[in-house]
Amino acid sequence: MGNPFNAEKKQGISLKQIKNQKVLILLSIPFIIYVIIFCYVPLGGWIMAFQNFKPKLGLLHSQFVGLDKFKFLFSNDQFLKVIRNTLAMGVINLVLGTVTAILFAILLSEFRFIKGKKLVQTISYLPHFLSWVIVTGIVFDVLSTENGIVNELLVNLHIIDKPFNFLADPKLFWWIVGFANVWKETGWNSIIYLAAITSISPDLYEAASIDGAGRLAKIWHITLPGIKPTFFILLIMNIGNVLNAGFEVQYLLGNGLVQSVSQTIDIYVLKYGISQADYSLGTAAGIFKSVVSLILIVIANQLAKKMGEEHLF
Amino acid sequence: MKKFKSIAALSVAFLMMAGMAGCGNTAGGNGGDETAANAGGDAGTSAAAGGETSSSGEIKEFTAFFAVPGNELNSDNRVQQVIAEKIGAKCKETWLTGQTAEEAIGVMIAGGEYTDFIVGSSGSTTLIDAGALIPIDQYWDNYPNVKNFYSDAEWNQIRNADGHIYIIPQFGNVYMYDTGTIHNDEAFWIQTRVLEWAGYPKIETLDEYFDVIERYIEANPTMEDGTPNIGYEILTDDWRYFCLENAPFFLDGYPNDGCCIVDETTHQAIDYNTTPTAKRYFQKLNEEYKKGIIDPETFTLNYDQYIAKLSSGRVCGMVDQHWNFQDAENAIKQQGLDNCTYVPVGVVIDKGIEERYHSESALDATGGIGITVSCDDVEGAMKFLNDLLDPEILTLRNWGQEGIDYLVDENGLFYRNEEMRKNAVDQSYINANMCPYSYFPNYEGMNHDGINACNANNQPSEFFEALPEPVKKCFEAYGVQTYTQMLNPSRENSPWFPMWSYSNAFTTETPWGLAKVNMDEVKHEYLPKVVISDDFESAWDEYLKVYNERCDTEAYLNALTEEVQRRIDVAQGS
Repeated sequence: MGNPFNAEKKQGISLKQIKNQKVLILLSIPFIIYVIIFCYVPLGGWIMAFQNFKPKLGLLHSQFVGLDKFKFLFSNDQFLKVIRNTLAMGVINLVLGTVTAILFAILLSEFRFIKGKKLVQTISYLPHFLSWVIVTGIVFDVLSTENGIVNELLVNLHIIDKPFNFLADPKLFWWIVGFANVWKETGWNSIIYLAAITSISPDLYEAASIDGAGRLAKIWHITLPGIKPTFFILLIMNIGNVLNAGFEVQYLLGNGLVQSVSQTIDIYVLKYGISQADYSLGTAAGIFKSVVSLILIVIANQLAKKMGEEHLF
Repeated sequence: MKKFKSIAALSVAFLMMAGMAGCGNTAGGNGGDETAANAGGDAGTSAAAGGETSSSGEIKEFTAFFAVPGNELNSDNRVQQVIAEKIGAKCKETWLTGQTAEEAIGVMIAGGEYTDFIVGSSGSTTLIDAGALIPIDQYWDNYPNVKNFYSDAEWNQIRNADGHIYIIPQFGNVYMYDTGTIHNDEAFWIQTRVLEWAGYPKIETLDEYFDVIERYIEANPTMEDGTPNIGYEILTDDWRYFCLENAPFFLDGYPNDGCCIVDETTHQAIDYNTTPTAKRYFQKLNEEYKKGIIDPETFTLNYDQYIAKLSSGRVCGMVDQHWNFQDAENAIKQQGLDNCTYVPVGVVIDKGIEERYHSESALDATGGIGITVSCDDVEGAMKFLNDLLDPEILTLRNWGQEGIDYLVDENGLFYRNEEMRKNAVDQSYINANMCPYSYFPNYEGMNHDGINACNANNQPSEFFEALPEPVKKCFEAYGVQTYTQMLNPSRENSPWFPMWSYSNAFTTETPWGLAKVNMDEVKHEYLPKVVISDDFESAWDEYLKVYNERCDTEAYLNALTEEVQRRIDVAQGS
């Protein structure tokens, strides 16, 4: 049976193959329809970005304005600022999220006591199912200047002499978002790495033990290389997601004092596109985001290819 | 081989996870849409049932969305049921939560599905422009209560440029005369315990106001139960940051035009954000912040946290609109912290300036309730509006049921007993029992019987009975009977008042609309910075620099000045 992932063996698809795989093909049809309806059909709305769209006139009768909306975007220094914020928070989330997930997965896999391992794993991924509204509520409480645990701790350890309002400091905002993400998603993100670790053959570990490798050496020489393909696939996909640095968390945690660093492209779209009823401008910003994401994915993929690592296409 | 397969499986699993997460997000973002879609469905079924309503006595159910914060009533609400049985229709109301009005309305328009009734608040113009509302004047001939709700001259003010009427402004329609007991608008508020402690001093200026609070906090650092008192709180959450930014025009003795000061003689719009008074006001806030009188985390609080702080009774004072913190005041009363409720004080920057915090109800011709194109039963909806203005139904909406919510004495005067008064400030009781349909058209002033006020809060006898003891004492000390008398009596409104009804309709398409967005953005960021800065002067200079750089105030003020002139011309009938 030909391996679909192996480029060298690639050849034309024969009728026999289709017959053999007809169940698989049938199974995939609903998903293809789903993708077409929800991902490709809405792309038709992109036309809005080149119009001065008025809901009353609709897509067909709105006036075309060419690239005016894009010109406005790039002459608007607010937009340049939100691109910076989005990229910064996206990269912070990506790096922190990946590193903590891998570390956590390795720690868990080294856990000998099975029941304890299951318990920790379950507890650690539960925050993933909380809505951001709740998580930001917890963040507010933890960082509060009145009885917030962080301030209590710092004051009682005499590191600072009076409570510090973390959420009012523009320099800290990105990191607060980053760590809130870590708290919420580490457990969940580590599941996939944990699965990858589980699929590494135990023979390798046994052989290493016989060669005299200790625990750390085994992690370094077997576990990490074992999850490398998973790591690259996820990295490529996540790089495409860098500009989806979030909307809810920044929207809920932000305030006037930090708005110059807290607003992301999504918030900009909401503010100008929806609130000001300039749907064309919102669409233009959305297109920009998609195009940049696509470019990032292609670059990451090509790099992975060049380095001889696992890649998507 | 095996490795590749597992990777493929893993990536598929991941994709599905991502997909699911994606779905979750979309659903969250489009919450408004969904309600709208459901609403549409409901309306459809109710309209289908509508045909046989009169014969079978079935109750039609309409839906409404109000782009303002409010309390959702329980579905089995008692008075709502009574009204429904009388008029054969009810309305499920939903309110703004965690969004701005523009966002909620913008999302609805993008989805193209609406509730039967809608109040767009500051998004009203957008709704009309999007063709989301039906022209009410084409249907109103059979519904006299609606048609006669305003005079022809008033309807002409409301009329859209295309000659149709799409919205009915619900407020400011005074029947007979206004008893005016409550100041529902903006003011500097202060707790009665602070005034009592200070011996009810006469507070006229900003300096005096903060002086009293400072002294009170020094003498009483904590509440009785040991939680620390907070001197002053400033809400800056999103669109509610008026609590910080618009005080300067009040301090200068101008009424709440919202977006500017209008010079009474030259009719020029003036920017209040950079006046010497503004500078002195923010300098004062800066000093108080450094002294610790202002809550150190005030600028990072969201609305809910702010209401929670106020509800605890710890906050001595703030600038706010009464309707914005009414929930907190009810909570304070319910906990029995009667001396922690607030009275308004008309603070100005220098002695001798006449304050104008209280204004007469003014017709806001750009905001109101409309019937949307998603409504399948426009006639039924018009009938519902009409029935709600029936005198009997008005009494049910405003007072409740006789014998349960209020009693009537031999002269026909409504009154309540102690328990009824207690119930009237208990939010859970209100949600289960009272149905004011508060954002449907309603009369202010007097009830249609000519004896009673439109509701209990405005009934002078009832109002005074229901006052917490400390407030009564405070009123006595100042020689007044009502909240409004704590402030100067309102003057006749200028023909251009209120200007915010014009600026609310700005969009970024115009230079002045863009200027407004920029002004909001700069103020939202830099004014808090000015207040918490260690070096006020340099922070203020930076604010001015950025403000002047980014905001085209000239276009903004010119547009406003033109509108002032236009409104004067309309009022003079030319």
